[in-house]
Amino acid sequence: MELWSQIIDGFQAALTPTNLAYCFIGVLLGTVIGLLPGLGSATGVAILLPLTLMLDPLTALIMLAGIYYGTQYGATISSVLVSTPGDSATVVTTIDGYQLARQGRAGPALAIAAIASFLAGTISILLLMTLAPVFAGFALNFGPPETVALVTLGLAGVIGFTGTSRAKGLAMGALGLAIATVGIDAQTGIARFTFGQVELLGGIGFLAVIIGLFAVAEVMSQVSRGGGEPIRTRFRDMLLSREDWRRSRMPIVRGGIVGFFLGVLPGAGATLASFLSYDIERRLSKRPERFGKGAMEGVAAPEAANNAAVNGAFVPTLTLGIPGSGTTAVLLGAFLLFGLQPGPLLLEQQPELVWGLIASFYIGNLILLLLNLPLAPAFASILRLRYTLLYPFILLLAFIGAYAIENRLWGVWMAFAFGVIGYFMKRYGYPAAPVILGLILGGLFEQSLEQTSSMGGGSFAIFLERPIALALFALAGLIILGPFVARGVKALAGKATARVQQ
Amino acid sequence: MEELLSRRDFLKRGGGVLLSMYALGLASCGGRASEGEDGAEWEPSRSVVMIVPFDPGGGSDILGRAMAAGLEEVRPGLNINVENRSGGSGAVGYSYLLEQRGDPHFLLASETAGVALPITTETPFHWTDYTPVAQIAEDATLLVVRQDAPYQSLPEVIEAAGAERVLVGVAGATGLDTIVTSLMEEDQGVEFERVVFESGGEIVAALLGGDIDIAMLNPGEVIGQLEAGDMRALVVFADERYEGEQLADIPTAQEEGVDVTFTQYRGLFAAGDISPEERSYWEEAILEWAETQSYDEYIERNYLISEIRAGQEFEEYLREYETTLEGVLGESGG
Repeated sequence: MELWSQIIDGFQAALTPTNLAYCFIGVLLGTVIGLLPGLGSATGVAILLPLTLMLDPLTALIMLAGIYYGTQYGATISSVLVSTPGDSATVVTTIDGYQLARQGRAGPALAIAAIASFLAGTISILLLMTLAPVFAGFALNFGPPETVALVTLGLAGVIGFTGTSRAKGLAMGALGLAIATVGIDAQTGIARFTFGQVELLGGIGFLAVIIGLFAVAEVMSQVSRGGGEPIRTRFRDMLLSREDWRRSRMPIVRGGIVGFFLGVLPGAGATLASFLSYDIERRLSKRPERFGKGAMEGVAAPEAANNAAVNGAFVPTLTLGIPGSGTTAVLLGAFLLFGLQPGPLLLEQQPELVWGLIASFYIGNLILLLLNLPLAPAFASILRLRYTLLYPFILLLAFIGAYAIENRLWGVWMAFAFGVIGYFMKRYGYPAAPVILGLILGGLFEQSLEQTSSMGGGSFAIFLERPIALALFALAGLIILGPFVARGVKALAGKATARVQQ
Repeated sequence: MEELLSRRDFLKRGGGVLLSMYALGLASCGGRASEGEDGAEWEPSRSVVMIVPFDPGGGSDILGRAMAAGLEEVRPGLNINVENRSGGSGAVGYSYLLEQRGDPHFLLASETAGVALPITTETPFHWTDYTPVAQIAEDATLLVVRQDAPYQSLPEVIEAAGAERVLVGVAGATGLDTIVTSLMEEDQGVEFERVVFESGGEIVAALLGGDIDIAMLNPGEVIGQLEAGDMRALVVFADERYEGEQLADIPTAQEEGVDVTFTQYRGLFAAGDISPEERSYWEEAILEWAETQSYDEYIERNYLISEIRAGQEFEEYLREYETTLEGVLGESGG
C-alpha cells in the first residue's frame, strides 16, 4: 500500500542519528520551557527558530515540533507538584494532580500523565497518518457558527468545575468572561474597560491570571494556614498501582480522541480539549465526588487530551497550510524560512519531509515517555523540601514566568493582583478553574458570535442551516438540563413504584 | 550560496534574543561601537533594541527580524536585539517606544497600525511623536475567491454586491484589508458585509469552507492555495502588477475599473526627539541595506513591493496616509 510505504519512508527519514539527536534536544528543551509558567511553546519555538536555520529543514522542523509537544509534558510537572500550570492546557490537571501530590502520590500522577500523553499521542498520530485529509475537510466545515456552538458546549462544561457550590462556580465562570472583555475589541477596534491604561489595551492575559490564581494564591493560603509538615511519602506510593492504571485506561482513550478532534479545529485547541475531557470523565464516573479530591482519571484524561490536540493541530497545518494553533502558526513561518511553501501541495511536493516530521512525533513521544517515567519519582521528591525552601522557590518561578510573558513588570503586577484575589477565592470556597475557562473561551465566543452575526445578517436563523452547530447546541442543552430531567424522571418513577406498592 | 549569509545573520539574531530573554532586562554590557562611515558624527554606543509590536511569526515580526539582520550586515559590530512587545493591536509596542524618547538605541518595525491606532483608539501616542526613518517596502492586498466561485472578475463582484449580500473576510477591524474594502465601497457606491477575523489563516479556512464569498489577503497568506488551484486572485490593489511570474497575471484594480491603489507601508521608526546625526545614522544604514542581496530576498520571499522613501519624503507620505485613513476609519471606526 502506498500509505504504508510512505510511513516507512518517514520513519527512515526521522531515524537518522542526527534527526534522533535533534528530536531529543527538542523534546528536552520543550520540557524545560513547559516547566516555566509564562514561557509557552509558541514563544519557545519563536526564540529557538533562528538557531535551527543552519540545519537541514527536516532536522530543524523535527526539533521545533519536539519543543511544541515536549512543552505539554513539562507543563504537567509544575501543575502537579506546585499547583503552577506551565501552560493553559494543564490548568485542569492542577485540580486533581495537586491533590494527589498533597496526598503523597505525585509520583504516580506524573507517571500516569506521561503514559496518558504517550498513548493519546499514539492514537492521534495514527489518526493523523491515516485520515489527515478527511479531518482537514471536517475542519473546513467548522465555521464561525459551529465555533459559537462548540464554545457554548465548553461553557456548559463549567458546571463540571463548580466544586461544592454551583452558584459560586457559575459566578467564577462569569468573572472569567468579564475579564475577557478588557482591551481592544478585535471586531470593532474599540477599547473597552482600559481606563486610559495603555497596558490594558492588550487585554488581561490568561497566563498572568493562571500564575496568580494558582501559584501565588496557593502559596499565600498555605502560608496563612501556618504551613505544615513536608509531604512524607513511602516508596510504594511513588509507583503506579494496578488500580490507577485500570481507572485511567478508558479516560486516556476518550481524552485522546476528544483532544485530537478539538486540536484539528482552529481556535479551540488544547485547553478546551482538556477541560471537556475532564468533564466527560467526571460525568461518566460512578463516583464523581472523587473528582477534585485526587482522582487519577482527573489527571489522565486532560493530559491525554492536550497532547492529542497538539497532533491534531498539525492536520490543517500540513494539509492546508492553515495554522491549527498559535505554535503551528510560528512553525509555518519556519517552513517559509526554509523555502518550503505550506499549503495543499506540500504533502505532494515534500512527502519525505511531511512523513518524516509525522514519524518524528511518534519517536519524540516515546523519548518523552522514557524520559519522564524514571524522572517522575525524582521530580516528586522535590516536595520533600521544607516549605520555607519550597515556597520562595515557587514564588520565584511564578514571578519569572509572569515577567517572561511580555518581558515587562506589568505581568508580575497582574500575577500578584490575581494572587490576592485567588487567596480570597480559596478562603471562601470559590473555584479557580471556571475563571480560566471563561477567560479563554470568552474572547473566542464573542468573536465567533460577531462573525456569525455578520454572516447571517444579524439573524439567528443561520444556525438552523448548520447541522453541526445544532448538534453541538443540543449536546450543550443536554449537559445543562440533563441532571434536572434525570432527577425529574427518577422522582416520577419513585412515585409510581410507591403507588404500585400501596 | 547566497542564503548562507542571511542564515548566519539569523543565527546571530537568535543569540541576541536569547540573551535579552534571559538577562531579564538587565542592561547589556557590550559597549562595542561600529566603524563609522565618514568620520562618524554618531554611532550606537551599546546594544540596540528593535521593537516588534506584534507576536512572533507575523509580517511585522519578519520585518523586524529582517531589518535587524540587515542593519547588522551593513554595520559590522552593531548588535540589535529583537523584542516582541505585542498587545492592543500594536499599541503596547508603540507606547513602549514612546517611553524611550530621546534614546537613539531604540527602533521599531512599523506598519499601518502606527498611523491607524491613534485614529481609532485613544492612545497616548501619534506617529509624529517618533522619528520615521524610512519606508522600505509596501504590502498589497489581493481580492481572492474560491476556485468554484461564480465571480470571474472584479466588476462581477461589484455587480453582485449591488444586488445581494456579499460577505468579505478581512483581518482586523482597522487593518489594511478593512481600509481597502472601505475605499472600494466608496469608489463604487456598493456595500459589502464584513466578517472580521484575527489572521489571514482563519480567512483562508473560512473561504475554503464557504463561510465567506470573497477575501482580502496578502499574497504570502494565500500563495499555497493559489498554486494548488483551490483559489483564484481577481485583482491586486496596487499601482502596478507584481513582477514575479507567480503573480504577474493578476490585474490591478485600476485595470478593472476600480480606482483603489491603497497599499500598506513597512518601514523603520526610531524613538522621538533624537538628534539629526542620530537620525541620519539609521537612515544611511537602512538605505544601504536596501541595496543588498538579503534585502531582495526579504522582498521576494514575502511577496512585498520594493518601495523606498526616507526623511521628508517619508513624513509627507505618512501625512497623506493619515488623511486617507481618517477618511475611512474616522467614520466607521466609531
